[in-house]
Order: sequence, then C-alpha cells, then structure tokens
Amino acid sequence: MRNFKYLQPENLKESVGALSEKSIPYSGGTDILGLLKNNIISPTELVNLKNIDDLDKIEQISNGIKIGALTKLADIAENDLVRNKFTALAQAAEQVGTPQLRNVGTLGGNIAQRPRCWYYRGDFDCLKKGGDICYAEIGQNKYHAIIGGGPCHIVHPSDTAVALLALNAKLTTLSPKGEKKIPLKDFFILPEIDQTVENILSPDEIITHIEIPFPSSNSKSGYIKSMERGAWDFAVASVAAVIDHNNGKINSGKITFGGVAPIPWHEEELDNSLKGVSLSSESLIQLSKYALKKADPLEHNEYKINLTRGLLVELLSNLVG
Amino acid sequence: MNRKIIKSKSYLYDEKIESIAEVPEKELESLPLNKDLKFIGKAIPRVDGEEKVSGTAVFTFDKTFTNIAHAKTLRSPYPFAKIMSIDISKAKKVNGVLKIITNENSPEIEWYGDYSKLFDQTVRYEGDEVAFIVAETEDIAEKALSLIEVNYKELDFVTNTLESIKDSSPKIYNKSNIPDPGGHANYSRGNYEEGIKYSDVVIEREYSTQVAIHNPLEPHCTITKWEDDELIIWDSTQAVFSVRDAIASRLKIPASKVRVIKEYMGGGFGAKLEAGKYSVMAALAAREIKRPVKVVLDRREMNLAVGNRPDSQQKITAGAKKDGTLMALGLTSHGGMGAYPAGTYVHWPLRSLYKCDNIESNEYRTFINAGRARPFRAPGHVQGTFALESILDDLAEKIEMDPLEFRKKNFTSIDQDSKLPYTSKKLMEAYDAGAKAINWNNRKPAGTIEGVIKRGLGLASQIWWGGGSPPAYATVKMNRDGSVQVLCGSQDLGTGTYTIIAQVTAEVLEIPIESINVLIGDTQATPYAPSSGGSTTAPSITPAVYDGSLQIKKKLIAGASAIMELPTDELSYSQGKISEKKNKDNFLTNSQIIRKIRERVLVATGARNQNTDKYAINTFGVQFADVEVNTLTGKVTVNKIVAAHDIGRTLNRQTLENQFHGGVMMGLGYALMEERIIDEYTGKVLTTNIHDYKMATMKDTPDIDVIIVSETDPLVSAVGVKGIGEPAMIPTPGAIANAIYNAIGVRINSLPITPDKIITALNNRG
Amino acid sequence: MSKNSKSKNLSRRQFITKAGTGAVGSYVLFPTIVKSNKSLNHSGEEITNLKGDTDLSLNVNGKNIKTKVNANTTLVELLRDHLNLTGTKVACNNGECGSCSVLLDGKVVYSCHMLALDAQGKSVTTVEGLMEGNNLSIVQETFIEKDGLQCGFCTPGQVIAATALLNKNPNPTMDEVKEGMAGNLCRCGAYPKIIDSVLAAAEKLKS
Repeated sequence: MRNFKYLQPENLKESVGALSEKSIPYSGGTDILGLLKNNIISPTELVNLKNIDDLDKIEQISNGIKIGALTKLADIAENDLVRNKFTALAQAAEQVGTPQLRNVGTLGGNIAQRPRCWYYRGDFDCLKKGGDICYAEIGQNKYHAIIGGGPCHIVHPSDTAVALLALNAKLTTLSPKGEKKIPLKDFFILPEIDQTVENILSPDEIITHIEIPFPSSNSKSGYIKSMERGAWDFAVASVAAVIDHNNGKINSGKITFGGVAPIPWHEEELDNSLKGVSLSSESLIQLSKYALKKADPLEHNEYKINLTRGLLVELLSNLVG
Repeated sequence: MNRKIIKSKSYLYDEKIESIAEVPEKELESLPLNKDLKFIGKAIPRVDGEEKVSGTAVFTFDKTFTNIAHAKTLRSPYPFAKIMSIDISKAKKVNGVLKIITNENSPEIEWYGDYSKLFDQTVRYEGDEVAFIVAETEDIAEKALSLIEVNYKELDFVTNTLESIKDSSPKIYNKSNIPDPGGHANYSRGNYEEGIKYSDVVIEREYSTQVAIHNPLEPHCTITKWEDDELIIWDSTQAVFSVRDAIASRLKIPASKVRVIKEYMGGGFGAKLEAGKYSVMAALAAREIKRPVKVVLDRREMNLAVGNRPDSQQKITAGAKKDGTLMALGLTSHGGMGAYPAGTYVHWPLRSLYKCDNIESNEYRTFINAGRARPFRAPGHVQGTFALESILDDLAEKIEMDPLEFRKKNFTSIDQDSKLPYTSKKLMEAYDAGAKAINWNNRKPAGTIEGVIKRGLGLASQIWWGGGSPPAYATVKMNRDGSVQVLCGSQDLGTGTYTIIAQVTAEVLEIPIESINVLIGDTQATPYAPSSGGSTTAPSITPAVYDGSLQIKKKLIAGASAIMELPTDELSYSQGKISEKKNKDNFLTNSQIIRKIRERVLVATGARNQNTDKYAINTFGVQFADVEVNTLTGKVTVNKIVAAHDIGRTLNRQTLENQFHGGVMMGLGYALMEERIIDEYTGKVLTTNIHDYKMATMKDTPDIDVIIVSETDPLVSAVGVKGIGEPAMIPTPGAIANAIYNAIGVRINSLPITPDKIITALNNRG
Repeated sequence: MSKNSKSKNLSRRQFITKAGTGAVGSYVLFPTIVKSNKSLNHSGEEITNLKGDTDLSLNVNGKNIKTKVNANTTLVELLRDHLNLTGTKVACNNGECGSCSVLLDGKVVYSCHMLALDAQGKSVTTVEGLMEGNNLSIVQETFIEKDGLQCGFCTPGQVIAATALLNKNPNPTMDEVKEGMAGNLCRCGAYPKIIDSVLAAAEKLKS
C-alpha cells in the first residue's frame, strides 16, 4: 500500500474542508483499504471521519428514523427500532460480509462502496478505471449486470442500499457548498451517464445522515440475498420488499433489487402490479414474472432473472406467511 | 536391531513405487486391539495444542532474525510471452535494495525437468517468475519491483484444456500440447467392446470438474540462512527431505550441507510437497549478501503459482445387466496440467472401486498457459469418483435398482488389477452402518419430492491406497531420568503427527505422554521419513516408532537382566519399571537401569516393516449426503454427511474425527463453490483473492457423522493403521452431487454445483 | 442460452490486442503481507525513536504504547513487525479470512484490514493478551480439549472470535456460533470441532 497523509479533522466542517480531488473520506475503511492495496485508487490524503461526533447515532425522529452515516453495520443490525420498523435494513446489514466487517464498516460506506467486479478490482485497465474496454462484456460475466448495464456492466454491491431504496430513504450530504437532501433513488447513476462513478457525490462531499420515513403501520419489510456460500459473499442477486397486505391480498408495496444492475434497481410497473395480488404461492410466482422483464443478460448471467424472481417469491412468502 | 534390505511395493498417489528399504528382519508382534490399550485410540489432546491456541507456536511465517532481508518476486502479467529485455537500473537505485536476480545474472538452473529454468526467457503462465528482489523490507522490495522495466513480446496463448488439444491452438513448446511420451495413459482389462455388447443398458455421460486451488492459510514461505558453507532453510513444507535434496542438487552442494527445518506449518494439502523456486532464489541471494533472506508469498501468488487440482473433462460409457452386474466402463478424459508437466489422471476409481471385468480408459494431459498443477488431496480420485459415482447412480436408475444395492452387487473382495485379496475391506459394513445413520430407507426416487425446497439423499464410495511403506525410521532416545525423545523426519501438517508419535511411544513404554518430547521436520536431527502426502504418514512412521520403542524396552530388559542377574524371561516390564516376575518387590526403574548401564542416553532407531506382497493394501469407505435444494433460488444446503470408513486402527479418535471433518468440508467446497476462473480473452486469473475464490465457511458446515468400521489391519503393519487424510475427501463431492440429483431430478454434471447451474438446469427441463 | 448481443462490434482479435495494452498499463504489484521485521520492545513503557510520520497511542494487551507509524501501516503490521506479537497471523491481507482477528475495544475486527491509526486511543487484545499470566483462558483451554484446531494457523483468530462472541452472547446456540464465527476461515475444515469448542467454553464460563 502506498503511503498517504492521514488527516484527522475534529468536526464536520473541517472534514469537508479537507476533502479534494486528491483525498478520500475514510471511516470503516473496509472497502477503501482493498482499493488502496490493489492500487485502484491512489489518494495522497485520507480524511479520517471517525473523530466527528454524533455521526454514529440512530435516533427516532417525528416521521421516522435518522441514522448517522458512520453508524456501524453491526449496530444497525442489532438496533431494536431498526429491527422492528425497518426490518429490511436490519436484515440487509446483518448479511453484509462477516462480524468483523460489520463491526467496522459503516452505513455510509456501504452505500458509497465501489463495485466488486473482478476486472475492476483486478489487473485490468477497464472502462471504469479509464480504459477502453469493459472486459466483462464478453468475458467472465456470471456475476455482472442483467439490466441497466453498458458500457460498463458492474452490479452495485451494496446490500443496505437495496433495502434503503425500498424503504424510501433520503440521504443528507455535506460539502463546502452546503447541505443537500437527496432521495436515494436520485443518488445512484447508471454507467451510461458516467461509467467512472456509481453515484452523484462530488469528491468534496460526504454522506452525513440517512433518514427513513416510517412505513405504513400494517406493512412489513424484508431483505433476501443469494450467496454462493454461507457468509462473506456479495449478493449474486438480492431483493428487498416493503409490503402492505390484509385479508390475504396485497394492498401496496415497493420492491427493489440488488446484484442485477449497476445501481440498486427499482421497477415502478412491478410495484403497480402488486395491488390486489393474492398471497398464494401460485399468484406470487405469477407476480414474480413481471420482475426484470426488460433484462438483457450477458453470455453467462441469464440465470439471474429466474434467481431474482425466485428470491422475490421466497421473500414475499416469508413476509406474508 | 536386526535388519534386512528388501524391495517393498506401495502407491504414492497413482505412482506405483518399489522402494529398496531397510526393514526389521522379523515381523513385530501386532498391537492388541484398542480396547486393551491405554493411549492409542483414545481422544488424547494434541501435544502441540497449547502452543497453537496461545499464539506461541512459531510458524515459518513468524520466524525472523535481526539482520534478515526480505524478498519479493516479479511475476509475468501475461499468460505467454517472451522476455525481450529487462531493465533493472531504476530498481537497483532504490534505497534498501540489496540484490536483484533475473535471467540475465542467474546461474542456469533447470526447473520442471528440462522444460524450463529458474529464470526462463519465456514465461508460460500469468505468475511465472521474472525477477527476484531482496531488500531491507518487503515494502522496499515491492516498490523496487514496480520499477523493473520488462519488455515482453506477447505470444498467442491457450488456457482452456479442450481448446489446447485442437490443431489450431497455440503450442506452448512448438509441438503438440499433449506431450509424447508422457501425455497419454491407457489402461484396459477384459474386453470392453464385448462388455458393452452384452450389457442390457448402456449410458454415456460427460463430466467436467473445475480447477481448484489449495489455498492453505499459511502462505508458502521460506527463510534461507548460510552459516559458512552450510545452508539452513526454514520452510513451510510437507517434505523436508525432498526439499533438502532438490535444493542441494540445484545449488550443486552436498546434501549434508543443507538443513531443512519445518516446525509448525499452516496447511499444505499437497501444495507444499516440493521445493519452491523462491527457496533456491533466496539461497542464491543470501549467499551473496551474507544475510538471511525471507520470502513470503502473498495470496495472489498463492492463487496463481503454487499448484492446483487440475480440471478434468471426462466422457464415460457404462454398461450393466438388468440384474445389476456392471459389465463395462469406458473413459476418455482430458486434463490441463498447466504450463509445465504435472499429473492429471483420474481413472483409478473407475479401474478399482467396483468389480468390473471390462475396462478401457484413455487419458490425456495437456499443456495450457496457466499455473502448473500439483498433487491436491487425493489427486485424480476426487474428480474420478465424482464422475464414476454419478454415472453409476444414473445406471442404477435405468435398471430400477437402489443405488446402494447396485454398489453392493458390484462389490469385490479382490483387487481388480492384481487379483490379490485385500488386507482388509469392510466396505459392506460401512455401507450398512452409513445407510442406517442417514436413514437411507427414507430415500425417495429422484425427482418425486414435492415443494419448493426438496430434500435428497445420495452416496458415493471411496478407494484409496494409504497403506504407507518403508523406508521410514524413528529414533527413540531414553534419558537417565526416564524421559524420552523421539526423532522422526516426518512433518505435522495439522494432522496430529506429533501426538500419534507420542501416543505410540507412551503405549509401548507405558510412560506418561508428558515425559515424551517429539522432534520432527529437521533433516539434520532426524532419521529419514517420507514426505507427508498420500495419506502415508501415520501408516509409514508409527510402525517405525513402535519398533524403536520396543527396542528401547528390550534394551532396558537386557540391562535389568545383567544388573539383577536374572534371565530376561523371568523379568517383566510395566509402567517404566522392570521387576522379577516371581517377586514384584525386586524391581528397577528405567532411570535406575540407565544409570547403571552408564549410557546417558539409550538410543534405538526403529524401521517401518516391509509391505506384504500377498495382499493389496487399500482404504475404503462410503459417504452419504443429506441435502436440501431450493428450486427457486438454486441454493443447496447440506444438512448432514455420514462418513463410514475402513481405515485400519484409530490412533486418536479426536484427531481422526477432525481430519474426516476437514476432508468432508474440503469436498463440500469443491462440490459447491470452489473454482479458479480465468478470463479467456486475456488468459489472466480472476479469482486471485479468497472471496472471489470461495471456500466453505463455518456457516456451510453440516452435521458430520464419522463412523469407523475397522478395528485394525494387522496385515499392513504391527500398528495396523492406514491413512485417512485423502479417504476423508474422496467421496464427498460425488455423494453431494447424487443427493442433489435425488432431490431435484435433474443432473448437473459439472462442478462446482452453484445456484446458477441448478436454476439453468431446472429451467431447461421446463 | 448463449448470448452476446453487446459485443457484436468487437472482434476477438481486436479485443485481445486492446486487452494486452491494457494489462501493461495497469499491472498491479502483489500486495504486501509483512513489512519490516525490526523487533522493538513493548515493555509497556513509552516507545520512542520510532520511524514514522504520525503519532499513535493505543493500549495493547493492557500496556500503553506510544509510537510513530507511517500512515499506511496496518494494525497487524504494527502488532507483528513492531511489537513482535506474532500470534496474530496474516493469510489473505484483505479482510477475507480472519487469521488476523483481534479485539478492538472488545469487538472482533480484522487487523490486516485496518490501519494502525484506526486504533488510535483504543484497546487492542491479541491472542497473547487472552492469557491470564501463564495460564490459558477458558476458551483457549477448551479449544485444546475439544480439538478445535488442526494446523493452528487460523487458531489465534478463531480463539479471538470465539472470545468476542461469548463476551457478547454467553449462551449461544449452534447457529449463533456459526454466524458469529463466519468471518474466520479454517482451510483444514476443523469447523465442527471449533463449534464444539465454543459451545463447551460457554458451558464452562457459566460455571
């Protein structure tokens, strides 16, 4: 790992002031250290955010919950309010990596982490790193995007972002220009807009808080993730859902997908078709066929369509069962 | 210490070995059964447990010296290229760089036979060695590596086994990628065509198994240190003597001047059976800079350059009569050995596991531009058993026979090659015990299970050698205080070698385990013992330890006889004392005897016995798997594995179970998740870390039930033990694959069986 | 099944040529596992005269340590190379295996995947620090009794993870053990006996 300066600002204002093109905000470091060790990024300064007070709190606010961006994933997974009212987020957080990573990794970092594409992380001068080619396009693309991809075909690796998107979360960010509130749905950007980044954060901007409104009182939420082993795997595919149902029928809901697209994925038509669906497994299977209808898989990842639909059925069955 | 020199036969992996060895002249009396023993067979805690749990065990990885220098290797980024020039001028200028070796200043040292050199001008896989830098710190060495400018001429490459055999594919050595001789192995017996002709049912299947990487957690590492003209090497190795001889001959110095030491080592699984180039490079550099040099491979290097289980592309034809008689088995298989020669053959299970009179097998191994294969826990057998046991299940289904009955029907009590009986074969007992433990009677026909989550049962059998062989020696030394040292040239890979040596010595001499100190893994201090591979360690060395301990006992009795002036047959040995049979109060302790003899140390070297040539020596077993498959998401959960085996005597119930668990876990990982993946357009490996290269975690751990159906195998040795490391893994993938089929009714013939393959297979069936 | 719609404009030959060029430019060196081996005393007194660009104070196994480190020094490098605490191992150097597990303010973390400076002002416990004088901790003892190890390389990390788990949850079920220990790979596959060890240690700690 190349050396760098480790800046230790004491408050938010100083932190944001210290950020520039050459620096990188640093807290849990679980993602950044991997990028540094593999020479994918080479900032001259790390701006340590861990000394900033109050960014690691979970608090109830009038219409929901406010989570500091530096809150550890383990703390989110274990928080009673999150578990009870924002179950999808707790379930997503507890399926990230391993206990060691969850004890260190933060919610903000999990949302803003870089992709795990093995070409991007490996010894390849790929599109995302400023090269000319997306190697995954005709290479080993089993884990890549089936929808929303091109010219770069990464999938977004975050578990929590998928849950947060389903829960209609809003981010607060801060830069020298001031504070911004960004609905999570507007935060991520597709590679066709800019393949070198995954979100709209500018280099001198950090996420400070995540706010989530309470879901309607008779709804339930959940998150399900497919991995190729029992732990420490990024989602091959994942689904988050918030479902409001009674009398054996779904009233409304929101469904989001991970591991399938360069950003946490949401299909409004699918949400629209939820109303009135009965909770039998046949009708849930039928419903799942409306998901990812526009998928355009690569050579080795067509299976993700059925996998994701299968996860959707399993999740909905669990939620309403 | 009467000895004779004989010829003894055995198998190390699939190589039949005739060793000339010195063995005890007379057969030793067999150890009684475990129920009559005090130490052997008991769950005695490992003698090195405390060092390991306290962090005080010093692995090669941990060892250091105050003036140590550190080295890193520059490796080829290309799968196939010619080095046109190397410019080290910038790297040399880095402060702290002590020595740089490349093909331009290295002595010419052959490697991989005469296929390559220590530093070659052609690099044939991504990771092939290009330059070696020694510096004050690893960081400096690494920084300097990035400043070496190499001008490569890239060559057309091939990384896929079946591509490599096409006429049009790039040639790695300017001739066929299947070397001749050495690239083709044929085996046949009976008349295969006739066997097929007289079969009622004939099926043909293709199987594909992946490349798997050993990935022991302690990386390959070495420290080389010169003391005048003596070279001392601390190496993380499974084979101190073969590393010593390989390095001595490469450096052209007498083997007597090379000392290889291995104290603790963090796993090998076959990847650490040979000397690494890095040890020779470090020795060359250490001699010049007159300082010890340490080399530690990083995880990326571990995944590129120090071996793998090669792939196999198998086509099998199998024929049977309706009554279940297996009539014929035919195999054609290709395996990619990597860029340099290595073994890949998979036909042994097909040739030896069941009674079958008509066999025809043709196997090809081919060069590809990828890291070279090395032995990996039951080389060939894991791949071969998966394919064989899969097709046998399909065949059983065709003739409407229970898979277990089908295997019992084709059981053989004689070795199919030599026609000799086995020293022991309790496979039938294993079938019965295992079937009961897994509730085999509850098994439903394939594909008949309702619901989204389907549960299935499957089985696979196992044959392996694992009988061990001479030469293997152990020196037992008893001190004046009655404490004992045992010196043996073996290695403990985590298998418990230290502990079983102490147990055998304690058993014979009836002394506390705590009074025994075992020293292994040092070529200068110990007599010879073989490499720790092939499940041969326990069966090779414990008979030698037994012999050496018995000799010490004999010496003590002879000494007591002289002191007490009584004939030896009037004396008896018990718990470190020799007493007169008629008058138990007339006794001498071991310590008193040694003091009188005036030798400060009683010494005896025991030897492993000759192997019988009247019997075939093998291990057998069966594993049953109970799995659940989620048909919506392709997720496989292994609920339970029952491992029922005939492995001779259990030396230590606890370490034995542990090794079986380990074999099953490695088999489970191979069946479900492990795979080295190469980008075919660049020839570069994509799985260079250990989350992309997926190994089983604790969350993947099923309930594992270990059943040992054998008590001892006295025809193998007086100790009656056979090896278990490899038998433990061989049947696991086949059993899991068959259970998955049983659950979902669709066959997946390529490993690993990942969710995508299950979903795709179910989808294709519709 | 096989589908290649997005690559129709790129012939294989072009691809290789381009790919080759790419590889030269981006050739990444293999990451470090262990840095210098200057062994320094860690007697508990202040350590001075250390090379490094940034001040660091922390507590390791009960001893206060003041030192300087380069910002890019990982916590495990500090422990192993500077403080000579080689019980903590490194196997992946990338937060993937758990051999480097230590307790940071009582929580289990990967010391290879954390900067030494991230431990500023905090308490670190390594496997050496679990010992009570010359005595093994109950968790360590139980790992020996139940044979929760084979080669021993991952063992210090397993023992640390087990200690953290039992501190937090003194009464774990088997599934909770599996979940709590999922960040520690054992390539020897001693998992069943590691699980036994943790469950047995929980029983012992209760009495």
